[in-house]
Amino acid sequence: MGLNAALKVPTTAERPRDNGHALVGSRCGQCGATSFPARAVCHRCGTAAPAEHTFAATGVLLTYTTVHVPRPGLPAPYTLGQIALDDGGPMVFGQVRTDGTEPEAGMAVRVRIGAPSETPRYWFVPERFAG
Amino acid sequence: MHPFGRYPNSSLKDLNRVACVSALVDAGLAVSDVDAVYAANAMAGLLQGQEMIRGQSVMREIGIERVPVTNVENACASGSTALRQAVLAIRAGSADVVLVAGVEKMFVEDRSRTLAALESAGDLDVVSGIGLQFTAVYGMRLRKLIAAGRLTVDDLVAVSVKSHANGERNPYAQHRKVVSPEEVLGSRPIADPLTLLMCSSICDGAAAVVVARRGAVRDNSKPTVRIRASQAATGYTTTGNEPSLTELCAAAAYAEAGVGPEDVDVAEVHDAMAPAELIAYEQLGFCSPGDAGALLDSGTTQIDGSRPVNPSGGLSSRGHAVGATGLAQIAELTWQLRGEAAGRQTERPRIGLAHNNGGWLEGESAVSCVHLLERTDPWD
Repeated sequence: MGLNAALKVPTTAERPRDNGHALVGSRCGQCGATSFPARAVCHRCGTAAPAEHTFAATGVLLTYTTVHVPRPGLPAPYTLGQIALDDGGPMVFGQVRTDGTEPEAGMAVRVRIGAPSETPRYWFVPERFAG
Repeated sequence: MHPFGRYPNSSLKDLNRVACVSALVDAGLAVSDVDAVYAANAMAGLLQGQEMIRGQSVMREIGIERVPVTNVENACASGSTALRQAVLAIRAGSADVVLVAGVEKMFVEDRSRTLAALESAGDLDVVSGIGLQFTAVYGMRLRKLIAAGRLTVDDLVAVSVKSHANGERNPYAQHRKVVSPEEVLGSRPIADPLTLLMCSSICDGAAAVVVARRGAVRDNSKPTVRIRASQAATGYTTTGNEPSLTELCAAAAYAEAGVGPEDVDVAEVHDAMAPAELIAYEQLGFCSPGDAGALLDSGTTQIDGSRPVNPSGGLSSRGHAVGATGLAQIAELTWQLRGEAAGRQTERPRIGLAHNNGGWLEGESAVSCVHLLERTDPWD
C-alpha cells in the first residue's frame, strides 16, 4: 500500500470514534499497531494501512489520579485514568467513574459512551459495576 | 534572567528586557553584535493576545531590529528548543553570535485563563473535555511507579523538601521558602498523590543566553562554557513497553558528547512537579530503575553532593515561567560551571546536563530536549 493512499482517507471529522458501545479507531493492516482516534498513516511502520477498527469495550486501568482543582464545566473532584484497551487496543486517557469507591490499578474497566451532545463523549466504569 | 515570580507591573517587554540585557552585558556584547535571535514563548498568544510577532515585538524594546528573529513555541520546552535552533544556526554557518531568549507572563487577572492555556499542551482533538492537564498526567505517572514499588510517598515528599530548600538559596527563584515534610504532605491535594507544595505554580519571568561560534567573541575573562550536545525528540504513541522519550533523548545527547551519565557533575531536570525529579534520575541514567528514592536519600543529588540535581530549585521552586524555563536551566548551569552560583554553588562541576520536556501525548511528554554543557577551563 503506497503512501499516496493517505490522500484518500476520510477527513478526521468523518471518522467514527465510537459505535455506541465501544471506541472506534484504526488498526494497521501491515503491522497491527492500533490508534485512537484513527490515523491516516501508521505511527509504527509508516505505511498508509490503518483501517477502521472497533476496539474491545473492556480494558485494564493502568493508573489513575483524582483531580481536586475544578475547571469550568468540570466540578472537582473527578478521577482520570490511563486505560489499556483489551485485545491489543491502544492506551487511552479517560475519566473513571465509580460509586465513590477508590479505583485500583490493574482493575478491569468497561467503556461507557455518552449521548452525542455529552462532554466527555466517553468514560470508564469498573467492570464489576457494568453488569 | 529576570527573577521568576509575580510581576503584575512588568510587561512581556520588561521581563524580556531584563533577561536579554543582563545576558548581553554578561557576555560583554552590544546589541549590534547579535546576528540572529530565537525568541521562545508559549502562552502570550492566549494570555496577552500577542501572536504572530511575539519575539519581534519584545526585541524592539531593546533596540534589536533588522536581524532575523524567529519565534519558537514548543510548550514547556520552548526555551530549550530555541537554544537548539541557535546551535544549529551557528553550526550551519549562518550566524556567529545568537541571542536566545524566553519570556512568559502567566499571571493574568483571571487564573482560569492561565489554566485553560496550560491545558492546550495536549492533543485537544483527542483529550478535549475530559479534564486532563499537567498535574493529572504527573499524578498518574507517579502513582504507577508507587504501585510498582519503585517510589514511595515519602520519596515524593523528600524531593519536594529538597526542591524548596534549594529555591530558598536562589535569588532568582519564585518560591524562596524552606518547607517541612509535614507541610508538603499537609498541603492541599491537587491530583493525588500530588499536593500543592509538590507542584510548580503560575509564574512570570524571562531568561536569555548568548551563544557564539568558538572564537567569535573576544575573551571576556570568564570561564568558557561549551555546548557539547543539543538533542531534541518528539513523543510517540506508546504501548507502555517502550523506553521513555527522555531516555532516548538523553542517550542521543550522551552519544553526541561522548560522555555518560556517570560524567554529569550537575543537572537541571524538568520537574514541573517536584517528584518528577525522581523519574528523571532513572531516565537520565543517574540510577537504576527503582533506586531513585535511595539516590535521593544518599544525599548525592543535594547541592553539596557528588551529583547535585536542580540546585536552582528546579521548575517547582525556582519557578516555571513556561517559555523561559529551558533557558533558566541553561543560565543556572552556566553560573554553576563558572563558579558564580553564590549561595548554592556546587563542587567544581565540569559537565552540566539540562533536561527540559513539554506537553503530553498518550502518557508521554510531547517534547524532550537534552543539552550537555562543559566548562572547558580547568578549575585551578
